[in-house]
Amino acid sequence: MTSDRAESDPVIEAFKKDIDRTLLRENLRRSVAERLANLVALQELAEEARRAGKRVVREP
Amino acid sequence: MTDFEQLIGALVGAEVEFLVVGGLAATVHGSARLTQDVDVVYARSEANIARLVAALRPHKPYLRGAPAGLPFEWSTATVQRGLNFTLTTRVGDIDVLGEIVGGGPYEALAKHTIEVDLFGHACRCLDLPTLIATKRAAGRPRDLEAVAELEALQEESV
Repeated sequence: MTSDRAESDPVIEAFKKDIDRTLLRENLRRSVAERLANLVALQELAEEARRAGKRVVREP
Repeated sequence: MTDFEQLIGALVGAEVEFLVVGGLAATVHGSARLTQDVDVVYARSEANIARLVAALRPHKPYLRGAPAGLPFEWSTATVQRGLNFTLTTRVGDIDVLGEIVGGGPYEALAKHTIEVDLFGHACRCLDLPTLIATKRAAGRPRDLEAVAELEALQEESV
């Protein structure tokens, strides 16, 4: 195993073009605790969206 | 929904030797992607396996995605017989891994970790270059976007 920076991969480079770097820069300015709090909030939002979707399916 | 804090707290509280990998490690490094489970690599010593089993037992681990009613028993014998377990528990999903592709077992990975505070607990977390290397080695199509984001984070951190 190596943890040195790997050579660039054209497939990965293609995916990188769609990465929102402003979001990453914002995250990098945050503390680890803030990043974890964001993850938990995002998870709750996704769960709420899933529940809402199920309600829509049940109550057309 | 996974209660990250409960799962990490359970492992730390039982003094399990583990390190955080996967999506939660990516979040630590600044990833904006949503992860739904906790992935950890644990040391395979007999004592540590006993601690791991004791830590998760109260949360009733079961094989994730398996049909209900299988004679699965979360025990030291089960963990010793196996290696990597994809589990669901009362407090969410957790993958407990004896080793990972491109990274090996706990002892090999431990040299490539940073210490971070996770929900008030000091934990070892895979460092960013090694996280990228292991995800690349896994070679799963679904990881390509994650690898791209991690590499972008590495570039932004310089």
